[in-house]
Amino acid sequence: MTEVLAILRGIHGVWLREIMRATRDRGQLLGGVSRPLIWLMILGVGLNPYFRGEVFGEVKMVLPFNYLQFLFPAVIVLNIMYTSIQFAVSVIWDREFGFLREVLVSPMPRWAVLLGKVLGGATAATGHGTLVLILARFADVTLTAPQVFAAIGYMFALSFALTCFGVVLAGKVRSFEGFGVFSNTLILPMYFASSSVFPLDPSLTRTQLSTSYPEWLLWLIRVNPITYAVDALRGILIGFHQFPAMIGYALVAAGCAGFFAWALRSFGK
Amino acid sequence: MTLAATPAPGAAALPPAIDVRGLTLRYGAHVALDNLSLSVAAGSSFALLGPNGAGKSTLMSVLSTLRLADAGEVRVAGHDVRRASRAVRQSIGMVFQDPSLDDRLSAEENLDFHGRVYGMPGRARAEAIDRMLALVELEDWREAVVRSFSGGMKRRLEIARALMHAPKILFLDEPTVGLDAQTRNKIWAYLEAERRTRGLTLFTTTHYIEEVAGADQICIVDKGRIIAEGSPEALRREMGQPWLHVTPASEADYAALLAAFPEARTPSPGDLSLAVTGESFVPDLLARFGNQLSALRYEAPTLEGVFLSLTGRALRDRADGAREAQRSAGRRAGRR
Repeated sequence: MTEVLAILRGIHGVWLREIMRATRDRGQLLGGVSRPLIWLMILGVGLNPYFRGEVFGEVKMVLPFNYLQFLFPAVIVLNIMYTSIQFAVSVIWDREFGFLREVLVSPMPRWAVLLGKVLGGATAATGHGTLVLILARFADVTLTAPQVFAAIGYMFALSFALTCFGVVLAGKVRSFEGFGVFSNTLILPMYFASSSVFPLDPSLTRTQLSTSYPEWLLWLIRVNPITYAVDALRGILIGFHQFPAMIGYALVAAGCAGFFAWALRSFGK
Repeated sequence: MTLAATPAPGAAALPPAIDVRGLTLRYGAHVALDNLSLSVAAGSSFALLGPNGAGKSTLMSVLSTLRLADAGEVRVAGHDVRRASRAVRQSIGMVFQDPSLDDRLSAEENLDFHGRVYGMPGRARAEAIDRMLALVELEDWREAVVRSFSGGMKRRLEIARALMHAPKILFLDEPTVGLDAQTRNKIWAYLEAERRTRGLTLFTTTHYIEEVAGADQICIVDKGRIIAEGSPEALRREMGQPWLHVTPASEADYAALLAAFPEARTPSPGDLSLAVTGESFVPDLLARFGNQLSALRYEAPTLEGVFLSLTGRALRDRADGAREAQRSAGRRAGRR
């Protein structure tokens, strides 16, 4: 019992340190605030009037939503992606500046150290996702309390999976500079190729889709897990799905377990 | 800086703090630790001395459970490092060679983090933070971010942190490298106080002779093996070689001395270093060559000399560099 309590104290300590570091990192905080503003208030507002289709000479919304509403959940996912994957920098920092050894010679089991760290990173990323929720009013998204709770819960699970993925990346990358390049060449392509900034019109048949979009892009979107992650959050926030919601939940759950196990293998070596 | 040569009271009855038998560890074909055995008495101050790459850090990482040995039995604080690694880690404190503080957190936050990770409850943690900051005289810097600390302050904070969970054994890897003499003395004073009051065992690795002169027991390692072991005095007595450095008055005298002592070393042109082989060596030399010398210096045995005579190499690179500089300065002087 005291054993369990000691491990819990350790996990809490590691978590607390990540939170302190995240809240003191002005640059990261600034990015977390400015990114959704740019994406929603400039890109979203700018493209909003063009988000409609022409059917039989009549201009109509393709979806029962405007562009800001459609984009809103995707911007949350983008903010979470940045913060979670950038978390790898914290892991590299600990390794390069020797702090990791302080934790590895402590009586805490390795899995508990990693769990504390990942929970800390996931909390910070969820915080950055929740920041975007405050902008809901400007994106014409009205939210009920249960929707907000469901969204935060889902965001935390997504953050956890992506943070573990960041730790895996940290194990593969040897330098800070290398990681900066790596994360930028990873995050934005994943985001764009995920039906996050444009819809795949569900009313179109497969053949019609193929005439509107090149086949390779459709293929990229379908194999990209971020597609389903965004789609599930869209379901929670604006009640719109392009794919079955269960795919998103299942992928996030699998990502949490799979990436944590993978991260544990590479952590502390 | 001087540590008492006597172990803490009651230490004789305790099992050894560290017991290593037949430890072997290889990195591929390279043997880092070669069938190494050693025992450290509880409450004593033990120093592991050796050049860079001798296997000191590897041994330290085995003792702190960070690395598993290929063969051999290792017990730390009575626990087997392989089977009870968490019990071992709970009983040891580590001060690493390179700083391992989070320099974005304050002194207090660094200590608080350590206390949590070692499972200390809130009140015990708060008390330990107060006591430790007082021990290393950093109370006034409690809230300051570690980034603003000097090297010596960081080292003191690291020692405070390593002692916070009341470990039985404290490992120090090159603890006072790059620190001024005042800070070095302070640090050894804190450590000695802890050793006196609660029987802490100190395990220091270093390639600085000054650092270990006060240790109870010294172990000299080279290429993964122990090449000498004992108290500093015993090592100096048994293996130390006194030297007589002489400067002959003229070139003819130089040749005469070199003919009489063909095994003499020539540290710089015009000088000779003679190994003192017995009590009558110096009087005999003075009787024979006394009026042919312009200068003469007797060098008592040092640990540095012990290492030199055991391995034929200097203990640290700095000494090599100094000797090199001396030699080239001598060459330049000789040319003039």
